[in-house]
Amino acid sequence: MNPRLRAALVTRRRRVGTTGAGSPRPRRGDGYEFAELRSYVAGDDPRRIDWAATARAGDLQTRVMFEDHALTLAAVLDASRSMFVGRDRPVYDVASGALSTWYALASAEDHCTRVLSDRVIEDRRRRGRSAALLCAEVRDEPGAPLDDALRIASLTVPRDASLLIVSDFYELGALEPSLRRLAARCDCTALVVRDPWRDDLPLGGFVRLRDAETGATQRLFVGRRERQRFGVAVAARESAVCEAFEAIGVRAAVLAGDSERALLEAFGLA
Amino acid sequence: MTFAHPERLLIALLASLAFALVYRAIERRASARALAYSNLAFALEAMRPSRLPAVVVFAALLAGVAALAAAFAGPRLVARVPVKDGTVILCIDTSGSMSATDLKPSRAAAAKAAARAFLDEVPAGTRVGIVTFASGASVVQPPTDDLDAVRDALDRVPPPNGATAIGDALALAAQQMPAHGKRVIVLMTDGVNNRGVDPVSAARDAATAGTTVHTVGIGTNGSGELIPGTNELADLDETTLRAIAANANGTYASAQDAASLRGAFRDLARATVWEKRRFDGSTLFAAGGGVVVVLAFLVGFAAGKFP
Repeated sequence: MNPRLRAALVTRRRRVGTTGAGSPRPRRGDGYEFAELRSYVAGDDPRRIDWAATARAGDLQTRVMFEDHALTLAAVLDASRSMFVGRDRPVYDVASGALSTWYALASAEDHCTRVLSDRVIEDRRRRGRSAALLCAEVRDEPGAPLDDALRIASLTVPRDASLLIVSDFYELGALEPSLRRLAARCDCTALVVRDPWRDDLPLGGFVRLRDAETGATQRLFVGRRERQRFGVAVAARESAVCEAFEAIGVRAAVLAGDSERALLEAFGLA
Repeated sequence: MTFAHPERLLIALLASLAFALVYRAIERRASARALAYSNLAFALEAMRPSRLPAVVVFAALLAGVAALAAAFAGPRLVARVPVKDGTVILCIDTSGSMSATDLKPSRAAAAKAAARAFLDEVPAGTRVGIVTFASGASVVQPPTDDLDAVRDALDRVPPPNGATAIGDALALAAQQMPAHGKRVIVLMTDGVNNRGVDPVSAARDAATAGTTVHTVGIGTNGSGELIPGTNELADLDETTLRAIAANANGTYASAQDAASLRGAFRDLARATVWEKRRFDGSTLFAAGGGVVVVLAFLVGFAAGKFP
């Protein structure tokens, strides 16, 4: 676990009902750790009345508990066909590594879930295995649309959860409504998977490209000029996608391979 | 261009269509080996690839296949080729009237320049000779395919002096001709035949022996130019020159200045020492089409680099 990341996750998570980045103050509510005694106010849970303190004080006293700093870590990994292309390995595997890093931030008290395109995987306590690892090992069906998983997440991920979304986001326009709903519900972090050929498109001459999603093919001539244009366009797209996420309240960074670095960048720590 | 078997052109057309269909089928099957990319639309928009190379390669392939198919139909091509076994004799007037200066710098100098212009158009292999005539005719250069020797011979053309023996020049030139091949006499004169044999008869005799006579008249009638050293007008007998050409299957041209004289000789050279000949273009079409197809395949189907 990266302590800096963990601390950033705890302190910088956007919380529903708070303004700005949220101050690192505990929210008063049900929990396991005693915080303080105060006078009873209408609406307090009667089960929290401390009778011993009431006897001493002479009026009703309520026990207030700290919400422990338990997090809910959730993640959505794009399993559409566009994620199964790559140079030496599919970008899906790179993205899976990011999930492992994400769940590694979980402490023993945290709750972990993994949202797939058709169901939610809750953490299972198994001897010798961490819940986070289980969630990371789960693979969605190849070709599953990301929007399905995002819709399920918007319905099931607890409020104030910390949600990680990893995708190439080529269909960001279509995903925006789901992303906005999620951003309003929980603390979202998006990792934009880097195009594996961003810095070196090794195509030359007459080549044939096939769209991984639709299967459409196109024969085209790739020369030096085309390769230069491609590199510029890919870099511009990455910047534009990150800016678009910031505009809808989702922190974002580019996942180039080092998932820990990408998360640090997303949290502004790199 | 004509075709020995025009009906086979239909087969050529069908072959070209069949090729286009096969090409498309190969393209579709090759799609299976395409490189998968996350978002093709983005890649195309990013690269903005030019369609021109693909169009050029396809057009070259189609043209190559069409040429191969057309070769099957026996194309007959017409080409301008040097006359086979040709001999031309230039008969140059060196009579006294050729010193007149209505053609600059003089008729004689303009005649030599015109003869050089003629030689510039003669292809290698054609034999050229020079006969000069004034009061009589003489061979300055027997017919030879050494054009440099002919050019050197022009420097040996005597200065203008004497009468005009057109008929003798034609007869002498006809004697220099070989027994076979294309034979042409180009007669250049500025005057009236006033010595020797009748030029029209000489032309007729030359024609009988298979020689063509073209005539070029130099100078202007009614110019008032006098034959130097005499009081005689340096007039041109166009009637006789036309008759000579007509009787010897030739043409008549006149030139009033040096430039038109050179032009007339240049045109004569192209008409006499070059000819249009039909030849079987099947080999050419087949070879050309084959080369284009192979090159187009090498260029167009050279494997692109893949990661």
